[in-house]
This record gives sequence, C-alpha cells and structure tokens, in this order.
Amino acid sequence: MRRYLARRVVAFAATLFVVSILVFVVIRVLPGDPALLIMGTEASPEAAAALRRAMGLDRPLPVQYAEWVRGALRGDLGRSIQYDVPVGSLILSRLRVTLPLTLLATLFMTATALPLGIFAATHHRRLGDYLAMVASQLGIAIPSFWAGLLLILFFAVRLGWVEAGGFPGWEAGLGAALRALLLPAVALGLIQAAILTRTTRSAVLEVIHAEHVRTARAKGLGERVVTWKHVLRNALITIVTIAGLQFGQLMAGSIVLENVFYLPGLGRLALSAISARDLPVVQGVVLFVAATIITLNFAVDVIYGFLDPRIRYD
Amino acid sequence: MASSLWVGRRFEYSVRQIYCLVHAEAPVMSRFRSAPVLVLILALATLPVASPAQPPAPAAALMVQVTSEPPGLDLTATPASATAAVVFYNVQEALVKVDQHGTLVPWLAERWHTADNLNYTFFLKRGVRFHNGRPFTAEDVKYVLDRARNPETKHPHVKHYEDIATIHVKDEHTVTVTLKQPNAMFLYNLARQGSVMYPREAVEQLRSQPVGTGPFTLARWDRGDRIVLKRYPDYHGKGLPRLDQVTFRFIPDPNAALAALQAGDIDVLAFGLGPESIEVVRRAPNLQLILGETTNDVILALNNAKKPYADVRVRRAITYAVNKDEIVKGAMFGFGRILGTNVDPLNPYFVDMAKAMAYSPEKAKQLLAEAGYPHGFDAVLRVPPQYPYTVRTGEVIVGQLAKVGIRAKLEQIEWGQWLDRVYKNADYDLTIIGHAEAWDAGNYANPKYYFRYDSPRFQEVFKESERTLDDAKRRALYGELQKIMVEEAPVVWLYVYPRIVAAKKGVQGIWKDLPTPSLDLSEVAWVK
Repeated sequence: MRRYLARRVVAFAATLFVVSILVFVVIRVLPGDPALLIMGTEASPEAAAALRRAMGLDRPLPVQYAEWVRGALRGDLGRSIQYDVPVGSLILSRLRVTLPLTLLATLFMTATALPLGIFAATHHRRLGDYLAMVASQLGIAIPSFWAGLLLILFFAVRLGWVEAGGFPGWEAGLGAALRALLLPAVALGLIQAAILTRTTRSAVLEVIHAEHVRTARAKGLGERVVTWKHVLRNALITIVTIAGLQFGQLMAGSIVLENVFYLPGLGRLALSAISARDLPVVQGVVLFVAATIITLNFAVDVIYGFLDPRIRYD
Repeated sequence: MASSLWVGRRFEYSVRQIYCLVHAEAPVMSRFRSAPVLVLILALATLPVASPAQPPAPAAALMVQVTSEPPGLDLTATPASATAAVVFYNVQEALVKVDQHGTLVPWLAERWHTADNLNYTFFLKRGVRFHNGRPFTAEDVKYVLDRARNPETKHPHVKHYEDIATIHVKDEHTVTVTLKQPNAMFLYNLARQGSVMYPREAVEQLRSQPVGTGPFTLARWDRGDRIVLKRYPDYHGKGLPRLDQVTFRFIPDPNAALAALQAGDIDVLAFGLGPESIEVVRRAPNLQLILGETTNDVILALNNAKKPYADVRVRRAITYAVNKDEIVKGAMFGFGRILGTNVDPLNPYFVDMAKAMAYSPEKAKQLLAEAGYPHGFDAVLRVPPQYPYTVRTGEVIVGQLAKVGIRAKLEQIEWGQWLDRVYKNADYDLTIIGHAEAWDAGNYANPKYYFRYDSPRFQEVFKESERTLDDAKRRALYGELQKIMVEEAPVVWLYVYPRIVAAKKGVQGIWKDLPTPSLDLSEVAWVK
C-alpha cells in the first residue's frame, strides 16, 4: 500500500507541473491582448502599449512563467488585472458559491441516482426498471442550461417562489443562500444523476448474477442483506469511480449554470477572466481546478485500494 | 466555432419554446401538456421550497441590470462603456455635461468665457464637495487636466487635451485654460468621460474606489456580482438624487436578464435587451418600454488597404448590394434607423444621407464588372458573437452579397480575437461592429485605423472642421465630410442601434436617448 501511495503522489506532482506549463502557454498563444480589452476600441495604441508594459507582458515568456511559479509556490497567484485584488482571495470568495453548489448537486445526484439505479436493477425488466430508464434517458437528453431556464421560468417567473438568479451571499442567512443555489444545483445535477442511475443499475446487475451472490442466497441470507452487503459493496467500486469523475464534471458544468443563474462562482470568474484576458486570474483558476480534479482522482485511486485489495498490487 | 453556433441556435430555439410555454395561450399550452418535460417540471414542483422571506428593500432603491462588469472603475484609465455606465454622472462629473438631448450644458463650471477662442476662463460652481468632504476648487481642475495631458499617466485620450498650452488658477473658483490653437471640440472634450473631476489625494484608488462630486458614492463592489451606490447627502444638485440606493447587477445573458425582470428581481433592464424581446415587454402589464436613439453606428467595415476593397468601385458596389431596409427588418425586427454616413442623427450637423446610395443590385453588378470582377470574388466576413446583432446582420448581408456574385463566408470570432486580429492588425476582409462613441468622424481621418481608409481630401476637411469655430462654417464642413463619405464609401453604414430599455412601471426619469455612454440616474425616481 505504501509503494502504491508513493507512486500516486509522484504522478500527482508531475501532472500538476505539466498542467501549469500547458495553462501558461495555451493562454498566451491565444490571440487577444489584455491591454486592448481594457482599453477597448477607443483608446490610442500608445496607451495600450503603456498598459501592456505596466502589466509586465512585454517580458520574455520563460521569465514570466518562472515568476508565476515562484509566486504560486509561496501561495501568491498574482493580482487580477480587471478587479485589482489578489487572485487567491478572488478564488476563495468564488468557492463560497461554487463549492456548495457542486456539493448540493452531488447530493442531489447521489440521492436520486443510487436508490433509482438499485431499484431498477432489482426490478430488472419489469415496469419499474423501464420507467427509471425512461427518466434517466430524459435526464441525459436535456442540456443543463435548458433545464436551468425551464426551472427559472417555472419557479421564478411563473410561481415567484425563488429569485430568477443571483446570490444574496451567506451573510443573508443560510435559508436565503440555499434557496438561491437550489435550482442551479438541480439543473446541474440532472444529467449526472441520469448517468449515475444507469451506471448504478448496470453495476448492480453485473454483481447480482455473480457466483458469490448466488452462494449468499443459497446460504439462506435475507434479500436485503444480500443486496446491501454482497451486491452493493462490490458494485460500489464502479460507482465510486464514476461518481468521483462526475464531481469534476459537475465543477466544469457549473460554468454554464453560473452564467444562466448569474451566480458569482468560480465558473463565471473563469469565463469572464478568459474574455477579459485577465491572465493571472485565468492561470490561477485553471491551476486550482486542475489541482482539485487531480486530487479527486488521487482520492478515488486511494479509496479503490481500500475497496479492492487486488488493485494496489498491480 | 460551428459547435458554438449550434449551441447558440439551440439556445435561442429553446428559449422561444419556453416563452411559449410560460406566456402562452391555451392551444400552445395543450401542445406541451403531453411533453414529458412538463411531467418532469411537475415532479420537481412538489419538492419543498422555503417561501421567500427577503428583507423589505428601502423604498427609494433601484436594482439595475447592466450587461458587462466594468474592467476597472477609473474613467481616466479605461474608456470602456461598462465603466462609464456606472461611474460617469453617477459618481464622477466633469466641468461640462452632455445632457439627454445631446446639448452641452454648464455643470461643475457654472459658466465660462472666451474672447479669442484661445483663453477660456471657467467659473466654478460654489459649494461643490468631493465625496471625501473636501471642497472642489480650481486647483483640482488644474491637477486633473495636467494629469490627463501628461503621456506618462497612460490616459487613454491624451489627444483630447494636446491643444492645451497652460492652465492658470486665478482664485479658488476661477481657472483659465489657454490653447495653442483654436479647437472646436475643446468644450466637448471637457465633457467626455475621461475629463471627470476627482481629488488629487484619491488618484491611487480610482480603479476600485472612485471619488468624485456626483450624486452617488460607491458603497460596495462585489466582484462578479454587483456594484452598490449610495446617495451622497451633500450633492450640489438641489433635491437630487431622488434615490437612496442604486444597485448595478451584471447579467450578461439577455434571456436571464429578461427572466429576472419578469420575476421582479430587477427594476430596470438597461442594456442588452434584443429587439426580439420588445413584444414580450410591451405585452407585460407591469412593465414599460423605453425606445430611443443612440450614437452607436453599426457598420459593415471594409479593409480599404486590401484587394479588391482598395478599389472605390468595389466599395461602392458593396454599398449598392446591401439592402439596409431588409437588414433592419430581418435582423433587427424593424428597430434601428438606417444610416447613410458615420454622422448619426443625434449629431447637430447630421444630414440624412440614407437614400444617397439606395439599394441597387444592377448598379452593384455593373460597378463590379467595371472594376474587373464580372463574376464577383470570395470574401470572409468576421463577426464577434459577443454582440448578437453582428451575427444576425451578417447572415442577412451574406445572402445579399451572393445576389451580386460576392461569395462571403461568415466567420464568428470571439471578442478578444476580434480586437486583436481585426481591430489591431486589420487582418480581415469584411466585419460588422457598432461604433458607440459620439463625434467619431475622426476615425476616418486616421489612415492607421482598422478601416485603413486613407483619403487626403477627407483628412483635410476634417482637420479644418476641428479648427473652425463658426457654427455655420463648421456645419458646412460637416456637410462636406458626409458627402465625401458617401462618395468614397470607405465602409457601409447600416443602421443606428436602437436604445431599448425595459423597466417596471413606476420608474421615472430614465433618459430616452443615449447621447453619451452614461446611465445617468441622478433624476430617476419611483412614482406610485
């Protein structure tokens, strides 16, 4: 187990290093000059050039990269061009929206997908199974931004139960903040819930017909014990893998929904920073998200090792 | 790009369907009743939701949508209109103001005097205080103008102040500005957003905490979400402002903005409402629509330095090939005034040239044949989808150009790329964009501008118009400029983008026309 963990940690660091270089290069290859975007179409070229110099964008790329990495290692991701505040604090303030949103969506996803998937598998080829599959097919087919708009128009515009978007901040109270996140979390979790339902169903189905389950039944164990202890524990390996990957998907998906619901989250920060060519922010956010996803994969790998002892030895 | 286009289409389509669903009369509703989507909605409707318990907002508060977040709040560093919408006239003001009719009126200078059009003496309004409590004086005027004309400070428009020779403070409330040569735009330039007055001690904080003399002070800027302004109790305007608090919320998506207005979350939808939504607002009993003019001239720009657009016959042919009526009907739902030149109807020297080169595909074909392109040519039309009207206008134009043999391909490029490739490097054949700045004929006198239009005749007349102070003579020169524009057809002027504002009924005092990029809220109030 220790060697397995060590290998994972090295892979983790190497991936992060590669990502940091990729982020840096890709953003700078992209046409689009941050100074021009701030100055717009009305300013003189001299003013734009002066601003570029002030932002340090006239220095050679390797120098800029080295400085960025040196700062990042000390926890300093630079200062936003557009907002004039440190990138680190900007990311943290946006996480206060995106993290709860992603967690709520994950909650919604697992709370609907696991029971539904298990139910479908245990009612294989019966009416319940078909209904669950139709529902999940629908969930996969509806794009999340569309689901978001439907929810807004029904619950905000028509019924007036919630606001059409925006975030009052946690200062406004837990109730108000959660209410603002509820619709986006549902819209965000819908597709992933549908996918996870299908994964759960097929994972459970695969195990249900396995030898050891037949043995358990033959021993005279109750149906509930068989399902929860013998079927689910084995099916969980697949389910955890997929769900772990889905958390990353949810974070990425929040970009779309934060725009539909104009929530001040990390996704919207990334998008506005890209269109404003706010380089320090783009670099910081991408590095942060990449690190999160790599960490998640790392965590999934470790959980794997615990769930299935065979894996740590390959 | 193709996939993003698809998403956009899909998005528009879905939204239209949803509007049918929500607003709709019975027959449409019954069509949807069978849809499984509705089953899903109803299923979700049973989820428990806490009832809204928002704290009651203060009576004189206004929630305003703006499309984009300012890239910084310093008007002396960024000319972005998103900055002007929030800061200009609301937080900071200038010596002179452009009012809602486009007229220059005295403001922080209550009057001025010039005997020779070189020495301007400004008499400042008494009792004006900056938000930090300090009185506004002539020393501040000198400091601000000296800083603006100093190239070291990176002011985006040093050019506007380059004719200033000296600034002399006579006393606390009197200041004389001496020019090197007469400049007809001098007073107007003092009314521009880059000429706002601020205290010397606040220079470093202008980017995130601007200080001025305006009716509101900046209370909060929640990055990515909102800017909150509070009433300035010591404001020099009597009885103003009429609101206690103004909140600008950044909602870029027009559909999200409309939904927020319909749900009652915002009171004013100030920018970005597309002409396609005008009917929805008109039908809503609790909303009002404000339609007016802007100085935003939407043009089909041609790269004058590139073949075949360097040939005036080709440029004229393209102008004849474009049917502007059809564009306004097809892409703008009939809203938008047809343009003949870059001088817009809000300009006092405007001459209506809309009919000067009326649509004529025959003339276009004939001119193309004369120029050596009897079978037309291939072209790429680059449009930035950030402004949806450019894409829709482009789609109509591509079809029109095809009728005279010009095979144009529509290519969507993101705004940052547009600025870099089209605007900065003139790497394009054709492009569509709106030019929002008022008094911008000077762009056509600048051969380095992205049109790459280099006409000594135009440059000369323009220069003369800048030096001519006599109104009648200047009007004649502007008439001449507009004539040259039509003849040399450096670009195709399409239409003036309309001002479309939707607001709750009861909101009063919003400007109808938009002669400056400001969103002046000093006189806006709630009327029951």
